[in-house]
Amino acid sequence: MAKTYDAIVVGSGISGGWAAKELCEAGLETLVLEAGRPVNPDTDSVEHVPVWQMKFRGNRDRKAMLVRQPVQRNCYACDELASKFFVDDLDNPYTTDESKPFLWIRGRQVGGRSIMWGRQTYRWSDLDFEANAKDGFGVDWPIRYADIAPWYDHVERFVGISGQAEGLAQLPDGQFLPPMGMTCAETHVRDAVAKYWGRDRVVTIGRCAVLTQSHNGRAACHYCGPCHRGCVTRSYFSSINATLPAAQATGKLTLRPYSVVHSVIYDPRKKRAAGVRVVDAQTKHLIEFRGRIVFLCASALESARILLHSTSPEFPNGLANTSGQLGKNLMDHCMGGGADGTIPGYEDRTTYGNRPNGIYMPRFRNVKDRSPNFLRGYGYQGGAGREGWGRGVDQAGFGADFKRQLKGLGRWNFGFYGFGECLPRPENYIELDPGKTDAWGIPALKIHCAWSDNERALLKDMSVAAAEMLSAAGATDIRPYVQDNAPGLTIHEMGTARMGRDPKTSVLNGNNQAWDAPNLFLTDGACMASSSCVNPSITYMALTARACHYAVDAMKRREL
Amino acid sequence: MDRREALRVLGAATAVPLVSRDLLALGRDAHARWRARPGFRVLDADQQALVTTLTDLIIPETDTPGARAARVDQFVDVMLADWYDPDDRQRFLDGLADVDARSTAATGKPFTDATPAQQTALLTTLDDELARLREAHQSTSKSFFRMLKWLTLVGYYTSQIGFEQELHERIIPGMFDPCRLQDAAARGGED
Repeated sequence: MAKTYDAIVVGSGISGGWAAKELCEAGLETLVLEAGRPVNPDTDSVEHVPVWQMKFRGNRDRKAMLVRQPVQRNCYACDELASKFFVDDLDNPYTTDESKPFLWIRGRQVGGRSIMWGRQTYRWSDLDFEANAKDGFGVDWPIRYADIAPWYDHVERFVGISGQAEGLAQLPDGQFLPPMGMTCAETHVRDAVAKYWGRDRVVTIGRCAVLTQSHNGRAACHYCGPCHRGCVTRSYFSSINATLPAAQATGKLTLRPYSVVHSVIYDPRKKRAAGVRVVDAQTKHLIEFRGRIVFLCASALESARILLHSTSPEFPNGLANTSGQLGKNLMDHCMGGGADGTIPGYEDRTTYGNRPNGIYMPRFRNVKDRSPNFLRGYGYQGGAGREGWGRGVDQAGFGADFKRQLKGLGRWNFGFYGFGECLPRPENYIELDPGKTDAWGIPALKIHCAWSDNERALLKDMSVAAAEMLSAAGATDIRPYVQDNAPGLTIHEMGTARMGRDPKTSVLNGNNQAWDAPNLFLTDGACMASSSCVNPSITYMALTARACHYAVDAMKRREL
Repeated sequence: MDRREALRVLGAATAVPLVSRDLLALGRDAHARWRARPGFRVLDADQQALVTTLTDLIIPETDTPGARAARVDQFVDVMLADWYDPDDRQRFLDGLADVDARSTAATGKPFTDATPAQQTALLTTLDDELARLREAHQSTSKSFFRMLKWLTLVGYYTSQIGFEQELHERIIPGMFDPCRLQDAAARGGED
């Protein structure tokens, strides 16, 4: 008889890494299954490779990507050096409606997308947790800020978040390492906006999972810049830099790469998940693993896909889908309304080093006032730096004077770039596409997703409000814009197995536990009942740690 | 260097005895030019010489090396071979031919043989034409000269010479200073 693990974790990205650490540290023999190859931070990090050693100088290998990564190439981070951390789109197909593009940006390797994530980390507040109950979209969250706050503390202390406490109710402060500095033009805009809007609109330094001092054995950032290419000093948080080594150190971890999870095995007698079926990515053999509890942390779309594919006489439409909500309510933040402008002055000043972070402006719409045009709100990321040599391409001139001019720096440009909350709507959903399988024979997803008028209204307001603030800051040459980004590109997809208070309308309860199988947990973006407007990863981490401790306690009480 | 490039280089090396007699007849200058050619896949010797001259006029040697020393010509060839679509590649090659045609019409000589003053005059014309497109808010995406400028700046500033000697950049700065007073040299003014 095959070994039964105490716990099986599917996925080794930001959520799976946390599940591995918490379960192993609680003493559970834990099997982590990762679909992709192993990644070693010492040998696979390429952030210090000089671009002149690269054929395309770090720009993307355009023609190769058009063939093998036509979806992934849309992500800013999928460049010549980092493209190896993004999937091959031919091996990993999915389909959409023709009129509704969705960009599914994926990383299949040990560490998942935590290797090339954006590292921005913001707590949710009760403004977010109460949103569904107040305006009626989606179902009410079964938890509130007080339920998750201690778990934010717990994960933040380990991750190491640099940031500035601001005392704002809509963006709670956390356990912060010293903040990174603001550039001269950022300080200028911060002060100008404060003069007009007081504490209603706050420009703060980005809160990010990059160390400003050594922390838990990881070194402080050395400001080389391209974090998405890896980090040999482990200065930014990722599974391979932090959680998986911690799990490994317990001696309880078995990490199995090249393990494409096919489905969850259901035991109808015990009414529990019994384990998972895996396609070995190299041999294509089907293998079964048994576990007392199963954590799905494969990403919002992958975890839901696995459950939709886990059919049985008891669950013909997929395991944990009694409510019919599995795969529904897909969300992604709408991004790309904003404005750029030139900040006059500070001509004798510049920056030194490459800060892997920008500024942040927390949500200000529908916080105190109520907007007549849209529900919920948005925040801005952005920042200011001086133009470099690239400006020369669209500038007249050539020769020695031109070269001397480009060696000096150009204008200070400031940009506000908005990220808006996406409403949970059942019309945005995924299903298995009966006509297409991936390279391992598993049915591909068909993704149906489009923005609603609310997201479009948010994008427009982002642009107008950004221009207004730049104007208040004395900026010149203000350039407002609204980008037409397909859903998915923000890479904050979530909501496909939502938490709720009622098994009839939700997939998971308030502990991320499947209503249909109490030893089955989903703690990645699938569990989200709404989307807030802030970057979601730290919330997945906190929910994962919370669910792990709940599961361990329930096992101790012999409930699981 | 990928396998295809390696094969090209090997191919060029074995071809030496066959073509070198002809090339020697072109004189030392052309021979030096040819010697620098292994690996070129799109640009022929004349086109390469023209690209080298043009890019070095855009970013010349000053107190630091220019585009010629940074081998921007090699970067241009790689991009033409493996980055651009055939249409764009042809537009660039047509642009090169147009430079020579204009030079011949104006001076009776191909661009590389024209005097520095004549070369500068023609480049000024090309730059002015591009500026007029910009000022009229017309698309510059099909402009040969913009393509050349883009390739020159990217090729130069992402080279080791551009990054280290010209910009004094470091791969590992080791710190972040958000609001540093620039010294005169870094401003590019008084050095």
